[in-house]
Amino acid sequence: MRAVRRAAPLLLILPSLLLALAVIGYPLYEMIRLSLADVSRFGQIRGYVGLANFARVFADPVFLSALLRTLEWTIAVVGGTVLVATPTALILHQNFWGRSLARTLVMLPWAISLSMAAIVWLWAFDGDHGMVNASLRSLGLMSGNVQWMARAETAFPVEIGVGILVSVPFSVTILLGGLSSIPGDIYEAASIDGASRLQAFRFLTLPLLRSFINIAIVLNVIYVFNSFPIIWVMTQGGPDNSTHILVTYLYELAFRLGRPGPAAAVSLVMLAIVFSFTMIYVRLQAREQSA
Amino acid sequence: MTRSSAWVAAAAAVATMFGVAARAETVHVTAAYYSDKTGPYFDKIAQEFHAANPGIDIKVDVVNWDSLLQKLQTDISGGTNPDISIIGTRWLLDFVKDDQAEPLDGYMDQAFKDRFIGTFLAPAQIGGKTYGLPIAASARALYFNKDLFAQAGISAPPATWDEVQQDAAKLKAKGIAGFGLQGKAIETDVYWYYALWTYGGDVVGKDGHAAFAGDAGVKALTMYKSMIDKGLTEDGPTNYTREDLQNLFKQGRVAMVITAPFLINQIAAEAPKLNYGIAPVPKETTSATYAVTDSVVLFKNSKVKKAAWKFLDFLFTKQPRIDFTKGEGFLPTTKAEAEDTYFTTNERLQTFVKLLPSAHFAPTVTGWEDTAKAVSDAVQSVYVGKAEPAPALKQAAGIADQALGK
Amino acid sequence: MTASRMVLRSALCWLGLSPLLLLVIFPFAVMISTALKPIDEVLAWPPRWLPDHIAWHNFADMWLAADFGSALLNSLGISILATLLAIAIAVPAAYAMARLELPAKDLYRQFLLVTQMLSPVLLVLGLFRMAASVPLGDGTLVDTRFGVILIYGAFNIAFAVWMLASYFATIPRDLEEAAWLDGCTRTGAVLRIFLPLAVPAISVTAIVTFVAAWNEFTVALTLLRDPSKLTVTLRVVNLVAGRYSVQWNQVMLATLLATLPVAVMFATLQRYLVRGLTLGAVK
Repeated sequence: MRAVRRAAPLLLILPSLLLALAVIGYPLYEMIRLSLADVSRFGQIRGYVGLANFARVFADPVFLSALLRTLEWTIAVVGGTVLVATPTALILHQNFWGRSLARTLVMLPWAISLSMAAIVWLWAFDGDHGMVNASLRSLGLMSGNVQWMARAETAFPVEIGVGILVSVPFSVTILLGGLSSIPGDIYEAASIDGASRLQAFRFLTLPLLRSFINIAIVLNVIYVFNSFPIIWVMTQGGPDNSTHILVTYLYELAFRLGRPGPAAAVSLVMLAIVFSFTMIYVRLQAREQSA
Repeated sequence: MTRSSAWVAAAAAVATMFGVAARAETVHVTAAYYSDKTGPYFDKIAQEFHAANPGIDIKVDVVNWDSLLQKLQTDISGGTNPDISIIGTRWLLDFVKDDQAEPLDGYMDQAFKDRFIGTFLAPAQIGGKTYGLPIAASARALYFNKDLFAQAGISAPPATWDEVQQDAAKLKAKGIAGFGLQGKAIETDVYWYYALWTYGGDVVGKDGHAAFAGDAGVKALTMYKSMIDKGLTEDGPTNYTREDLQNLFKQGRVAMVITAPFLINQIAAEAPKLNYGIAPVPKETTSATYAVTDSVVLFKNSKVKKAAWKFLDFLFTKQPRIDFTKGEGFLPTTKAEAEDTYFTTNERLQTFVKLLPSAHFAPTVTGWEDTAKAVSDAVQSVYVGKAEPAPALKQAAGIADQALGK
Repeated sequence: MTASRMVLRSALCWLGLSPLLLLVIFPFAVMISTALKPIDEVLAWPPRWLPDHIAWHNFADMWLAADFGSALLNSLGISILATLLAIAIAVPAAYAMARLELPAKDLYRQFLLVTQMLSPVLLVLGLFRMAASVPLGDGTLVDTRFGVILIYGAFNIAFAVWMLASYFATIPRDLEEAAWLDGCTRTGAVLRIFLPLAVPAISVTAIVTFVAAWNEFTVALTLLRDPSKLTVTLRVVNLVAGRYSVQWNQVMLATLLATLPVAVMFATLQRYLVRGLTLGAVK
């Protein structure tokens, strides 16, 4: 009986472990194997080459620029998301007329799959038939046509903007949750102590919200770093590789150019980056909070 | 159990046994999506074939071009590939090198080979063996909008690049975008090869080295770039895929575009009032065009090769070919269909057919995809003004040489 | 609070939200505008918001071209079953995390976090090979909805366990313990007392899983072959990717319709969604 007691928790997590291990562990093992091999387009392993795939990838200037751009992309999208989501959540936390409508509207971008959202925005930003140009013209903000996707200088910021917009709902939801967990009476206490609203925000709300912002940052970094459809649908990493991030570079490598080996190497590098970021960030936050 | 029902049961058992022996074979076919007519076409062909060969079922999946290669790639690496597939002939070498494609010579007699127009069968022959049958073929020519030309006082389509520029300048004076230049997504490189070839250059030389960075290449790219700078093309070419350009042309918003014969069918369906003509690709020193075939391949690991071949045999008979080529707006690949009056009397299609003797095909060399990408990247960097033609091409040639194994 | 202050506050709140709302609504306006136009107006110059003629036939055309009805059923079936699978597996695991003494709990939690870091795009090749090596019926998991369900389920377990466990930790133990005293077995107490209390959290987790499955593209593209098995997302992207000519009005209509079920779900459940994610996020 006692043995059963002790085994019970393990038995309860066993199915989740098994399924996750099978569906994620096996492909991961495959990826490691491929990253060390000379593989044909069609997955035939011609031999093992050690770290040659990694060396080849790191020698590719496109990889290096994609790596830098991935950092830019992740920082810009996650940063932008937090900057937009925090005030939005604060407003949505207020009691005002039509709040549930406002909350539903803010949530809407979450209801469109990323690929479809990217398609819609690509169409909206179309140089000739897109409503973005048409609207800007009718507002008198410009006269001609802007070919948004023609250059990285305009395309990449647009992609970042779309990235922020689709990440906002999830983050707002987390932050709203955080706000609703802050007990109302501390504000009353604060106002009795004569704190201004701004001070209450600065010294009460923000610190309490911090752990939720952190959660939003970690999860968004993971999702945004791996986010494929927006850039692939809108510019496919072009023109001249100028909008590639690692995940689009990897896809092109694996399926356009038919090199699964180096592609597997890129995926492992990506995994290592996200993993170390998450671990370091979580540690740092834990230390800061305990200090 | 009554006696008679016992008999019925026994008979049924026997029938089942034989049924197993004579069980219908299923041939899995992956077809590329050409238009909304592709699916219905293959459904119809599969039914007709099944009616004539009740023992063979044909199952067709129609897959988008964008995901076709990825799908075949994953399918093959998982061992679950179809028996037959349509592929871009430029991918064929990869399949052959990996021993995935079945050589078809053993299945074909001379009469079968003679069904095809030789030019179109040749690209799928590697090392003396035939690995694919040309199901779709196209060439490229210059579409021009007659009404816009008339507005600008131009009477005939341009025959040379100089004339293209003069005409585009006249069109520009009327506020019309003259020459449609593609700068985005697949075939960005090809759109530049038109110029490269007509300047006498080539993509890959006879020695197997990248040859596009030579004199002709630099001249061709400089010419395109100067047209962009002078506003003789549409605004921001790197925002335009081939489809985008075709849309502009359909709306009468660009006067010239170089593309394949299937635009004829699209115009007929979507912009029937458009008044346009088709002329050869403009030339500088040589006339040239790009010809493309898509091939049907039989996979080596197929367990129903005989049945699959029977289907191919049927697919390449006259009527199925005519239906396909007409419906999708391609060029005939077999002699029998080419003799059909639809093709012989179709002036527009004949313009393409007449260009065939000067056609360039994508060479079957390792690293072609990498070369195409390197060239696309290079011309894009020039179009957006990030690089100069000569160094950009030179750098691309370096990348291409590496990929070509030189 | 006086009514006039409420009016002022509401106005300020809506004003503050307006830039974001504008951006949120813009794509929907584009979708609706394009979806109602006939193709020649879609490509007309200059583009306009309102169609001259409303092309109601777009609806029928799109429905046929994308085989939307069967795609809708597939998406529903796959998303619901994947959600049920993820929940069925995550609930016991989350209970163990929250209530029982689990050896190596931190390790398990980190393992879950790592599974979140792998996007299917990275794993596609391996996933496919795995699916191709698992026999099922006459064939393998390839081209089966079951395979897709299994993979969606697996990819959502981490999030589900993580969220449920934090929520479970907030359900007071005393209620269950009181039930034990009344002679209830541990399992009985879980079923009768604990689970009913956990229903809100489970529903929110279910929504998030459902939406993820509904919107997923890469795995479905790789695994499914048979046209009769394709999902809505796949169908819509197929209307655009690699086509010689794109019917933008159909694409926008299909996107709109594919989004509708999820949007309605959000509208009805947004209150719980906020609450549920809060609790999930604490840990």
